[in-house]
Amino acid sequence: MTKVLDNIRLYGSFLKTSLKEMLVYRLDCIVGMTSQMVTQAVEIIFIWIVFQNTENLAGWNFMQIMLLYGITLLSVGIADFCFDALYDIGPKYIREGDFDKILLRPVHPLLSIIGGSKEFTSLGYFLLGLIITIIMLVKLAIPITIFLILKIVFFSIVGALIIGGINTICSISSFWTYRSNEFIWSVYQIYTFAQYPIDIYNGFIKFLITVILPFAFVAYFPTMNYLGWDIYLIYLSPIVAIVLWIIAVKVWNLALNKYRSTGN
Amino acid sequence: MLRTIFALAKMHLNEHNIYKSNFYLFSFNRLIEVVVYIFVWQAIYYQTGDAGGFTLSQMITYYILVVSINPIVLWGINEDMGHSIRTGRINKELLNPISYFKYYFGMNLGEIAFAVIVGIAVFVVCAIFWGVTLPVSFLNFIIFLVLILLGIPITFFLQMIAGTVGFYSGSIWGIQILRKAVISIFAGVIAPITLFPAWFQALSNYLPFQELIYTPINIWIGEFDMSQIVFVLIKQVIWIVILYIIAKKFFEHAVKKITINGG
Repeated sequence: MTKVLDNIRLYGSFLKTSLKEMLVYRLDCIVGMTSQMVTQAVEIIFIWIVFQNTENLAGWNFMQIMLLYGITLLSVGIADFCFDALYDIGPKYIREGDFDKILLRPVHPLLSIIGGSKEFTSLGYFLLGLIITIIMLVKLAIPITIFLILKIVFFSIVGALIIGGINTICSISSFWTYRSNEFIWSVYQIYTFAQYPIDIYNGFIKFLITVILPFAFVAYFPTMNYLGWDIYLIYLSPIVAIVLWIIAVKVWNLALNKYRSTGN
Repeated sequence: MLRTIFALAKMHLNEHNIYKSNFYLFSFNRLIEVVVYIFVWQAIYYQTGDAGGFTLSQMITYYILVVSINPIVLWGINEDMGHSIRTGRINKELLNPISYFKYYFGMNLGEIAFAVIVGIAVFVVCAIFWGVTLPVSFLNFIIFLVLILLGIPITFFLQMIAGTVGFYSGSIWGIQILRKAVISIFAGVIAPITLFPAWFQALSNYLPFQELIYTPINIWIGEFDMSQIVFVLIKQVIWIVILYIIAKKFFEHAVKKITINGG
């Protein structure tokens, strides 16, 4: 247990360094955050157009879909910030040989790598998610109680952990291909499926986003809870996150044993 | 000169060949992108009996073509250019016996060749899953191809403009995302332009973007008023000239002004 706590404390200091780095690249950071928000404009326009053509989508109206969207962005923002360095394992660490240095540190290499994340621009996602969530909660007349705020904070972090777990599992592909980024990215993109009511999909995709890649637990089931539609499924999210991380650490350790340096 | 450009294009295409997995992953990404669009419009169609004024099969074809053409429009050499600015490799590239623009145009062609391969693969796979409508006539298909070809210099010069911004900011990552978002919004990637507000439609009639994706697809599915075609072609040529001049002037200005990380 102390080991887990030590690791969390260590991660905290990694996080602090990353946040400080934001101040160094101030201009780039602002440009990046703005651009991230602009990209999201694409998605928001699509949702807007959809609701020009229909009153509701599988029983969800515009504001409810936007709430789901905002809640998703909260988790995505946190996850992108905290787990971005997973994309670097192949191209940066392994191919360039930096991975050997990381192995020599007295810390688990996974923590070393994840701690090096500094994708501060994804805070743009987070901010946008926060704004949309607040507006939609007000518009939907959902009472913003302390309990609801705590719930949203907690389950946003859990959602980010689910995304991070899935990304970590996918990142082991870098031990074979030396370029993990595309594979993680491909799988990660599937989270966009869970930004819409899962009732619009066929059985295969429903199964995909609830069981195989449980992205529906990131924001979809939590949002149903906030809307008062489904009270219980949300509480499976932490369990999903824990299971994913147990699998992630296990497969990562297995893959680590297979690691052969590219040696340069 | 043409031969050099083609040699560069081939070289760049071969870079993709090294990582065969790229092809599968990039195609897979396209498929993921189309899934949401198709299921959402299907849901709308089953609920309201209308898919934004199109038939359901037209709408499905629309989005399948969007994700198939979209790489040709959005991919390119912006990352390579950014990398060359950051590392200072650009010093050597400026001394190349081939001009900077031609050098990157050749590379860009290679990238587009790869995009075409991915696009065709995606189209075929989607056609198996959902079924697509074929072009309404052979002539329409030819005009479709002509418009896609005219889009290549347009997207290239846009990339050069975006890339040149990188001289000033040191990183082109942000401006790149902006470029992609603007094209996605105005080219009809999100939805057919007819579903946007009237002022937006009026504006995009004058911009070169809707001819990159929206107009070619409408020609394919037979929803385009062919009497407009001459106007559209002339408009594209004028935009190519305008963007060329802007890109060239901006680049020349930037090269004189800027100090580059020593390479």
